[in-house]
Amino acid sequence: MRRPEHQSVILSNEFNIMDRIKAFAVSFPEAHVTDLKERLARTAYPDELGNAGWDMGTPLSDVQRICEHWRTRFNWKEAEARLNELPQFTTPIQCDGFEELSIHFVHVRSQSDSAIPLLFSHGWPGSFIEVSKMACYLTESQDNRPAFHVVAPSLPNFGFSQGTKKRGFAIEQYAETCHKLMLRLGYEQYATQGGDWGWYVTRTMSLLYASSCLATHYNMDVGDPPASLADSQPDDSHPLPPKPTSRELSGKTRTAWFDQEGFGYNMLQSTKPQTIAFALADSPMALLAWIYEKLHDWADNRAWSDEEICLWVSIYWFSTAGPAAACRIYYEMIHDKYGNYVPSDSLGQGIEGAVAGKTKVTRKWLKQDHGTGVKIGQSHFPGDIHVLPSAWTRTIGNVVFEKEHESGGHFAAYEKPEELLEDLRVMFRHDGEAGKLWVSSISTE
Amino acid sequence: MAEIEAFTVLFPEQRISQLKQRLQQALFPDELPDSGWDMGTPLSDIERIAKHWASKFDFQQAAAQLNELPQFKTKIDCEGFDPLSIHFVHLRSDNPNAIPLFFSHGWPGSFFEVYKIARQLTRSDNGGPCFHVVAPSLPNFGFSDGVKKRGFAIEQYATVCNQLMLKLGYERYVTQGGDWGEPPASLKSTQPGSRFPLPDGATPRELQGAQRTAWFLDEGYGYNLLQSTKPQTLAYALADSPLALLAWISEKLHDWTDNYPWTDDEICLWVSIYYFSTAGPAAATRIYYEMAHDRNGKYVPKDSMGKGFEGGVPGTQKITGAYLKKDHGTGVKIGMSHFPMDIQVLPSLYTNTLGNVVYEKEHERGGHFAAHECPDELASDLREMFGALDLRSA
Repeated sequence: MRRPEHQSVILSNEFNIMDRIKAFAVSFPEAHVTDLKERLARTAYPDELGNAGWDMGTPLSDVQRICEHWRTRFNWKEAEARLNELPQFTTPIQCDGFEELSIHFVHVRSQSDSAIPLLFSHGWPGSFIEVSKMACYLTESQDNRPAFHVVAPSLPNFGFSQGTKKRGFAIEQYAETCHKLMLRLGYEQYATQGGDWGWYVTRTMSLLYASSCLATHYNMDVGDPPASLADSQPDDSHPLPPKPTSRELSGKTRTAWFDQEGFGYNMLQSTKPQTIAFALADSPMALLAWIYEKLHDWADNRAWSDEEICLWVSIYWFSTAGPAAACRIYYEMIHDKYGNYVPSDSLGQGIEGAVAGKTKVTRKWLKQDHGTGVKIGQSHFPGDIHVLPSAWTRTIGNVVFEKEHESGGHFAAYEKPEELLEDLRVMFRHDGEAGKLWVSSISTE
Repeated sequence: MAEIEAFTVLFPEQRISQLKQRLQQALFPDELPDSGWDMGTPLSDIERIAKHWASKFDFQQAAAQLNELPQFKTKIDCEGFDPLSIHFVHLRSDNPNAIPLFFSHGWPGSFFEVYKIARQLTRSDNGGPCFHVVAPSLPNFGFSDGVKKRGFAIEQYATVCNQLMLKLGYERYVTQGGDWGEPPASLKSTQPGSRFPLPDGATPRELQGAQRTAWFLDEGYGYNLLQSTKPQTLAYALADSPLALLAWISEKLHDWTDNYPWTDDEICLWVSIYYFSTAGPAAATRIYYEMAHDRNGKYVPKDSMGKGFEGGVPGTQKITGAYLKKDHGTGVKIGMSHFPMDIQVLPSLYTNTLGNVVYEKEHERGGHFAAHECPDELASDLREMFGALDLRSA
């Protein structure tokens, strides 16, 4: 895919300085880079069992090789330049009950008047970098294709956004932050795209801010089996529809693999993020192994370059909030603001959200169809971590676009940018259910 | 038969200075205020203990403390694997009729857990039976060799330990362990869907135990799932950062005990046994992985009886947790000491399903590391149980 001519954004002419939006450029401070190299030089490696491959975790030879690359060959200046190809900014955003946080974000505007504001949310262990392959193409206004203004933040606690110092900063706060960011940029009505935590953040936005978040596109499968399937196969925790597609069939095995073999990090981060924090903060190699395992296991046979891996991990090592803070999103999803455990089947009733008087948003609640009318798009990738039947994912609401892909995994925007780009263009085509919303909203101006 | 050599614990000077350097150069994470122990090991505790470990902990004195009990090493064969040099404490009683007692530690414990009970168990003046005490470092732990091949599972640990006892001349011996068991079918059927069906007339211990067990499974199980599936990914952290190892282990020392007043010295000693272990700090977690997988790396579901899965030695069936919990009618006499703050606190009806439970004691206090927390109570239980049994009969 050839890069189009980059569209630069002149900040000071476009935004009122009173809106407290500042231009931002990524830079990896020299002293911090030197310190990293020194730590990598004194790394103490564990042993490994012969023939373990990837079964028991990230292989030793991979970790050794990539650490060496990170220490001696990684091109810091080029990495900065690459990240800074996209216009970035920071702005302070405050959620009710929490301190003001400086939020970092990519913002690329389309030249088209009818462009749709699109909030792109990354997850863990991803970052804003995941939008980089699609961003400029999304802004293109050609033929009859819908164009987008692209907003891709670092979530609070991630990347170059600040981290909160208070307990209870849960999914509703991540949603509030992103919603307020869109409003700050003048986008009162917008669409979203997300996977991983991006699914949860944008889904929450669509339920809490239904008059603003009009359409959501997901690249991750989330949903419970509909009663019709669950009741007819009561002993099967993963009931398939009659005549499953090959994706749905193989998805059962893939999902079982993730739940049995790939869930340890999730349970740990959801219960004891502070314990693992010491490892992720003190040992760059530990952080690298921790993250790279997911890049390997969750992507669809993707050959990550050492340069890429180091860049993804560097965004965590050099993050504003520190590499440990990002894990807290897991903890806050399943605990109330007092630290009480919230069972997975809870709808949140009677459990306090972070802000007094508000019910906590739970995973189960997010999976329910609340009839808000939000237009949903679902792209299915066979290598993702949960690969679920369409009958399941359709239960969350009004799915107006759906596509099954032949390949691709968890990091869809990064692994399959062309495909995802096409999906968004089809979902938001002017005469489609989702696209129509903007055509009408423009014509009413 | 390969020799049994005397062994002395020694913390090498060079490694000690490396450790101190790493601790002094450590980078600490931040922490959310008011999180206490909820989110994991608190920052202030780790800062304090790391400082202690780097500057005040007396390694010579710690080694001397460990060397108070006689220790040895010997090579043990294990079919399908290379011979392993096994480190063990061996304390004999003066009484020739003493009962050979095999004591096995767990994770994140060590042979050191036997230290508070060993001497009193060998004494014959307590009005009860006395014991010869054997307490090894399990393979992959402490000062025993690490295993370099996949598939070294619970049956291999058991084989090595049995071989050790035989080598010491103990053809018949007794052992010591903790809470395990499944709800009997009778309970399961009357409370379908209940996580821990409780019997009618459940004791306060059993009621409180259900809560404690729920806490463990909901909040305290992450380490277990991780070590059971991706021990190698965790290995990098435990090998490279003594801070990470300290946090990882001390969280359990706090959470799994009954308000035990750990001193910084104690914690440093427990963690040092891992940091300075022969196999390295990462090897110990593999026991979890090998419990949950067959020798080909195939995942073994929790409720599996092991049929159709390959054990560590080709042609042998894998031993699973579910298999171990069944009563196989071997006639082994089982004793149970229940401690309220253990991590799984189960009704007697569950633990009775293991087999012929001839002794049971409920304690008012104590947690997972009973021998270390409540040595007198545990020693007394052992004397009571084995005093009442006639072990000379078949």
